[in-house]
Order: sequence, then C-alpha cells, then structure tokens
Amino acid sequence: MLETLREWGFFLGKRLAILLISLVLMSIITFSVTHFIGNPVYLLVGPRHTQQMLDNMIRDLGLDQPLWQQYLNYAGNLLQGDLGVSRYSYNPVMRDIRSRLPATLELSTFALLLGVLWAVPAGILAGSRPRSRFARIVDVIAQAGVSMPSFWLGLLLIYVFFAKLSWLPAPLGRIDRQYRTIAQVTGWYTIDTLWAGNWNAFVSSVKHLILPALTLAITTSPSTLRIARSKTEEIMQSDYIRSARAFGLSNSTVRRYAFKNMLAPVVTMIAMTYGYLLSGTVLVEIIFTWPGLGLYAVDAMNHSDYEPVMGVVLLSAGFYLSIYLLADIITALIDPRARVTK
Amino acid sequence: MTTATTSTKTATFVRPSFLRRLLDANGLWRVTINFGILLAFISLGILAPVLPLQNPVKPNPMNTLQPPSAEHWFGTDRDGMDIFSRTIHAIRTDFTLALSSVLIGIALGVPLGAISGYYGGLLDNVITRITEVFQGFPQILFGMAFIAAAGNTLTNVVLIVAFYNIPVYSKMVRSVVVPLRDVEFVQAARVAGNPSLIIVFRHIIPNALVPVFAQLPLSCAYAVQMIAGLSFIGLGVEIPKPEWGSMIQVGANYMVFGKWWLSVFPGLALFYSVWVLNNISDILKSLWSKRV
Repeated sequence: MLETLREWGFFLGKRLAILLISLVLMSIITFSVTHFIGNPVYLLVGPRHTQQMLDNMIRDLGLDQPLWQQYLNYAGNLLQGDLGVSRYSYNPVMRDIRSRLPATLELSTFALLLGVLWAVPAGILAGSRPRSRFARIVDVIAQAGVSMPSFWLGLLLIYVFFAKLSWLPAPLGRIDRQYRTIAQVTGWYTIDTLWAGNWNAFVSSVKHLILPALTLAITTSPSTLRIARSKTEEIMQSDYIRSARAFGLSNSTVRRYAFKNMLAPVVTMIAMTYGYLLSGTVLVEIIFTWPGLGLYAVDAMNHSDYEPVMGVVLLSAGFYLSIYLLADIITALIDPRARVTK
Repeated sequence: MTTATTSTKTATFVRPSFLRRLLDANGLWRVTINFGILLAFISLGILAPVLPLQNPVKPNPMNTLQPPSAEHWFGTDRDGMDIFSRTIHAIRTDFTLALSSVLIGIALGVPLGAISGYYGGLLDNVITRITEVFQGFPQILFGMAFIAAAGNTLTNVVLIVAFYNIPVYSKMVRSVVVPLRDVEFVQAARVAGNPSLIIVFRHIIPNALVPVFAQLPLSCAYAVQMIAGLSFIGLGVEIPKPEWGSMIQVGANYMVFGKWWLSVFPGLALFYSVWVLNNISDILKSLWSKRV
C-alpha cells in the first residue's frame, strides 16, 4: 500500500514538473514570437507617426525595460489570466475567449464521441482478424480519412446535404435564428435547449452540429482506429494470449485480457485527438461559420488584431499539455507498468 | 546501403534488391499504382508549362463560373480562369513548397536528434522537452500567429511548416541512435580515436536514413495539407497564383449555391496527392519494420 502511494507520488510529481516546465517553455516561445518577430508598436502608432509618439508608445508598453523584466511582466499577466485586450472588439481577450469556448468545446466533444464510437470497435474487430476483407476495407477508409482535407470534406457535405438534398440547415452558426435567445446555462446549445425543455430548438441545434462534427470525426478518428487495430493485432499474437488460449480459457475471457492491455495506448491517442481538436476545428469553423475560438482567431487576424490570436494559441497549447497529463494519469490507472518512474 | 544488421550475414546470402523487398512486402499492384500516380502527379507538375494548357492566371470576365465543358474540362472560376489548368499548375506550387519545408525540417531535425540521442544526459532532456512543447502548439493557429507577426510571405509559410517537421525527425532519429550508442562498431570507432561528431555523422546517422526516407512522403503529405490549409485562410499564397487551398477557398462561397466544380476539383487533387503520399510512406515503412 505504502509502496503504491510512493510510486504514485513520484509519478505525479514528475508529471507535474514536466507540465510546469512545458508551460514555461511555451510562454517563452510565444513571448519570443511577439517580441522579436513582430513589432506591435508600429501597428499601434499607425503609418504617420512622430518619433515622440513612438517613444511614448514604447514606454507605455514597457518595451524600454530589460528583456527579462518584460518577460516577467508577460508571464505575470498570463498567470493572472490576462491575455491582453483585443484592439478590435476592445474586450479583454480572456472575456472574448470565455464566451466562445463553449461553441468549440461542444463541437470538438461531439466530434470526438462520433469518432471514438466507430473507430474503437472497428479497430478492435479489424485487429482481431487482420487478414479479413473487413480489415482491408477499414484500412482503406482510415487512410482516406486522414488524407481528406477537413475544409474540403465540410464543403462536400454542405453541397450534398444542404444545397442538393436540403435535409440540413445552411452552414450559418450553431442554431436557427429564432432560438438564439434561449437561456445560456452551459453555453452548449444541445444541453441548454433540453434544459429549457424546448424540443424544436434542440433539434435545430443538433441539425447545425451534425455536419461539422461529422467532418471532424471523419478526419480525426483514423489515428485512434489505427492504434486500436495495430495494438489488438500485436496483443492477439502475444505469448500471454497464446498461453491463455492453451489453458483453455473461453474466447470472451481472452478478449477481456486483450482489451485491458489495448486500452492504455488507445486512451492516450483519444486524449491527443481531443487536444488536437480544440485548435484543429479552426478550418471547419470557418466553413460552417461556427462562432468558436478558431473563427475568433481568424477574424482577429484579418483585422490585424494580434493579441486574440496569441491568446487562442496559448490556450489551446495549454489545453493540449494538460490533456496529455490527464491521459498519462489515466494510463497509469489502467496499466501499473506506466507508473514506474525510471 | 551498409548497415549494422546486414553486413554479418554468411557469404552465400545475397541480399534481395530494394525493389524485390518492396514488392515482396506490399504486392505488385499496390506498389505500381501508388508510385504510378505519384509519378503522374510529379511529371504533370514539371511539364505543366509546356503542356497545351490554357493560361492558368488569365481572367476572362465574359466567361465566369462556367460548369465543366469540352472547352473547360473542370469549368471556370469566379474570374473566368480555367480550373483544369489551375489545378495542374497548382501541383508545382504545392509540391515545391511542401518538399522544401520538409527538407529544411530534415536538415535541422536529423542532426538535432542524433546529437541529443548520442550525448544523452541534460542536453538530451532539454532538446526532448523543447521538441515536445513544439508539438503541442496548435499547427494552423500557431502558423497564423507566426505569419501575422512575421509577415505574410511564402518564405514564412515554408518556415512554419519546416518548424513542425523538426520534432518529427529529431524524435525518430533519436530513437534510432539511442540503442546504437553502445553497439560494437560505434565503440570501435570511438576506440580508434574518432571525435564524437565524426562518429555521429559518419557512423550513426546513416543507420537512421531508412526510417527518415520512409517518413519523407508522410511529412510531405502533412506539409501539403498544412500549406493548403493556411492558404485556405488567406495566408501565404496570393490569389491569382494557382494553389489548391486558395482555389478551394474561392469556391467555398459558391458551394451553397450548387456550383460545385470550383472547389471539388482542386480538393480532389489535394486529397489524391495526400492519399498517395500516405500510402507510399506505408509501403516504404515495410522495409524498415521487417528489419527490426
């Protein structure tokens, strides 16, 4: 018992230390990009400026301080959740991000669920019969899915289901206009509409969600599928499964053993996909005018508004790193071997 | 290619040729079709200026948004430019940008991985950590941020894609180098008095070349996708220059009105080229996995 506790202590300590170092490195990278590559001063003072204006602006932004001091100010602001102010909407970037985060979270979560629901069973089935026709079909679908540019696939789906068949609404936002006044509890329209008991609004939100979620599911699920498939194949040929079969254990028992060992890498891959999705939605958000983080960043960029773009980058990188940590912890829960720190 | 594992075989064993091994592992059809399509893409791209194609950047205001016809096989776009010709010419743009960014990534990533794997210790830890953080950065978004800061030029697009390829190669080379650190031929080289850098570059890195070459098409596939994605949001390639991503972007607004040909054809070209590159990477990887 004590041994396990110590093991967990070491494991979590090391993981948290790595996360901390990674976050510091991340902030150094974004700091360097903002301070060495781009120079916001010229954007702020405009094309017709005097030296006096330039000097004032440099002093106001603290750019005359030594570099380490500037970095500390920057990191201090980040720690307080201050990502700067949008020059276009005049809102603090953090507030803008908070209002748009639910849209992206809703989209990426549903995309992840859709993907996992088909990829994991298909991967396991294909992996346990690697030479079958089913496995080959699955391989082709997976390869096609990775190769598909998400923004193009989204357009094709819009063409078929909106322009030709008119089964689904126009790719304009998250819900039909008349339901936009619905009370915001979680910011997820699919939940809020049910919360309000408004069935028609719920249907409308699902209809808007289905195509972007499907697009992302098709393009991101193949990595999970491939891991599930190759791990299952590898495990089914391993010694301990052969021994289990030799002992005469039933097929279902053998499958249960195999499943447990396949789970850890698959969970890691699912977590990485989720981390990717949060920022990977950007192209799909543009296609479907989905008012999430990606669209916010692109709009900001088109207005030469720099801070929101960097804020979204930082947030998604931080999210990715944290989700990665979470995946490591889940892996350690499933598989004791992963807890042993070298 | 001389490698540690093959040189110790008995004299009667003749190593099957590169092509033989490729065919044995993948089957004739798979190899022929994939390499055939890639070759077709590349030669179309190279020959595009001398082929009897219409001018890819010549607008024709009298002939905009025409559906596919005998004269314009893939139809015409918003400005009346011929989509077929543009799709073919775009191969040049996309493949060149992708290949150059991947090559820069290899040139920096391979030595970095070899050095961190060979020396180990603190240096290794620092390099590994930094590359992991790089990989956590959201690609398209960070690309946007970088290009917004550094200027919207083709060079910057190539640089940002190269930047994402560095960790891929440094990680892979490191994983090849670490087990080789204490192998006999490396020790022999060390005992003979070679300096570390010579050992790394002359004796260790050549062993990592097979996986690097197997990765190359896959990286190119990613690079093509990312370049198209960036130009889809208006970064890098300027509009009249033929490029798949920006062509899809031009067509995107017409898709809802049922004018499908503007986006579908460049998208198909993008999709096929990425697919073939992915397949070829899989085929080449069979060479590598058989040996491990």
